[in-house]
Amino acid sequence: MLTEFGNVLVFLIIGAIFVAGGMIASWILRPHRPYPEKLASYECGEEPVGDAWVKFNIRFYVVALIFLIFDVEVVFLFPWALVYRQLGLFAFLEMAVFLVILLIGFAYVWVKGDLDWDKPKPEIPKIERRPSAMRASVKPQVESVTV
Amino acid sequence: MVEQTLHSLSQFLPETTLTITFCISILAGLILRNKPKVIPVISFAGILLATVFAVRQMGSSQAVFSGMIVVDPFAVFFKLLVGSTAVIIFLFSIYSQEVQSTLKRLVEYSSLLVAMTLGMFLMAGAVNLLMMVLAIELTSLSSYILAGYTKEAPDSSEASLKYIIYGALSTGLMLYGISILFGLTGATDVYAINRSLAATSVNSVALLIAVLLIIAGFGYKISAVPFHFWTPDVYEGAPITITAFLSVASKAAGFAMLIRFFKISFIDFNLLAAHAGGVWGLLQGFEWNKILAILSVLTMTLGNLVAVWQNNLKRLLAYSSIAHAGYMLMGVVVLNDKGLAAVLVYFMVYLFMNLGAFYVVMLVANKVGSEDIDSYKGLGYRSPFISVAMVVFFISLAGLPPTAGFIGKLFLFAALLDARWVWLAVVGALNSVVSLYYYVRVVRNMFLRDPEGSTEPIRFSFPQMAILLLLLVPTLLFGLFYSPIVELANASVLMFGVR
Repeated sequence: MLTEFGNVLVFLIIGAIFVAGGMIASWILRPHRPYPEKLASYECGEEPVGDAWVKFNIRFYVVALIFLIFDVEVVFLFPWALVYRQLGLFAFLEMAVFLVILLIGFAYVWVKGDLDWDKPKPEIPKIERRPSAMRASVKPQVESVTV
Repeated sequence: MVEQTLHSLSQFLPETTLTITFCISILAGLILRNKPKVIPVISFAGILLATVFAVRQMGSSQAVFSGMIVVDPFAVFFKLLVGSTAVIIFLFSIYSQEVQSTLKRLVEYSSLLVAMTLGMFLMAGAVNLLMMVLAIELTSLSSYILAGYTKEAPDSSEASLKYIIYGALSTGLMLYGISILFGLTGATDVYAINRSLAATSVNSVALLIAVLLIIAGFGYKISAVPFHFWTPDVYEGAPITITAFLSVASKAAGFAMLIRFFKISFIDFNLLAAHAGGVWGLLQGFEWNKILAILSVLTMTLGNLVAVWQNNLKRLLAYSSIAHAGYMLMGVVVLNDKGLAAVLVYFMVYLFMNLGAFYVVMLVANKVGSEDIDSYKGLGYRSPFISVAMVVFFISLAGLPPTAGFIGKLFLFAALLDARWVWLAVVGALNSVVSLYYYVRVVRNMFLRDPEGSTEPIRFSFPQMAILLLLLVPTLLFGLFYSPIVELANASVLMFGVR
């Protein structure tokens, strides 16, 4: 009889055979006609633009980390909601403490500006509006053009 | 279940205090954005209060939070050690230029110190392997950030990055070892592991591999060779206050966990009951203490031999702290309560002498702007009091009488010879001789060399001297009047569930 870990091992072996078997069978059976479009990496039907190994903005990681924390919070809330009726006020207070600690972290992140996305600032040329002065400078040029 | 949790909470006061202090520090930092100097005061008060609560736990012995954490004399001892180190580090920070020149980040500095202290408090009491990993991670994550606190300095960022990479690797190895041990025994609780090992025999090769992997995690925390590679770079790059904290408190918490894990997991309770004097028998004939003996020899020899070549005092003290981890491992190898008490005595002594040495380095670096051994030339004439204090700390670190360091070494070697580990004692003694050389090299620069450049006397303010005296007096006093620390150590070897 297999032990519990033995079952896992058998599952892993069968899984590996299943994947490898499919790959090998299709490699033997399929026709080989490669062309550039076929060899390009699949990006949900879009044409790939450049290399995938580019430098990502570090803010993605910050947001991902913050998301992870609140994701875990929600995971903790589900079992809590299940036993809430049996424990009553005590459970409520415990979860309140947990949430308050997380909220402090959230406030910290917010105040420190880690939730603000750094927008790229395109340089918009400044227009200095000085009508009379402009007219004075433009007029001789216009005259020189017409002449 | 509610009553049980409430009872556990009442035994969890020091940790709760630290958690609340951490939250208040962060909130206060957000609200009082224009007065960052208030925050360290709040954190300092919180740590002081937590240490007082830890003192009040003395003598109690029970498991709380369904056997995740224990409150016993052994844990309380290490909590006191870590708490008092944190208090002293806050005093250091008042005069640290590196810390005071970055006022804007003072909130993060002091609140992360509180978080790190909390992690170490948990490390001292954790009896479940998962709780141990969590506590290590809490400590490590805070220390990664603090090591890179002066992020304008490139070596500080380098220190932080190296620390995080080594830390992640060693935690990974440790978790892998824990998973193997769980597979062998079906438990993560050290008491349950002990029961399982006592009842059934397991594959000894698998057990050896699991324990070696777990040692990698502990060895990283106490910076034992061959897991020490991060130590010199991190100690050199981090602000001196953090270096001092890591070298004492982090090491102490690591030792607390290592000792508790090995003692409880592999001790033979039947043999313990049969023999008087707290001699431990080992389950399954698994002699893990031989692994630690090899580790100890490697650690102290490499630490001392490499320290000889260092010219930066912070690096020198880093290697010296590696060597001291080696000495302290000797006390764990002998497998009895006498050896354990010797380790605890050594830690109390090490706290004062090592923090003292780092404090002098910090004061001198503030004035001279360098941690090079050459910049200490003629310091004995420029600032006699500081230099004499440094000599006392170094003599104590080398283990010469009449300082406290001598008492620490004396008890260690006595325990070793008692348990017939003569060869290890000889190696330890030879290492002490080597260590004398590099400590005296600094002393020679201070007193037997003429000052280079400026010969102006260097003056320090009265509070700075008072902090120095706070460390200097115990270093001298415990060398002559050591019965209180020995009694405290003997009372603190008691662990929950043993005997």
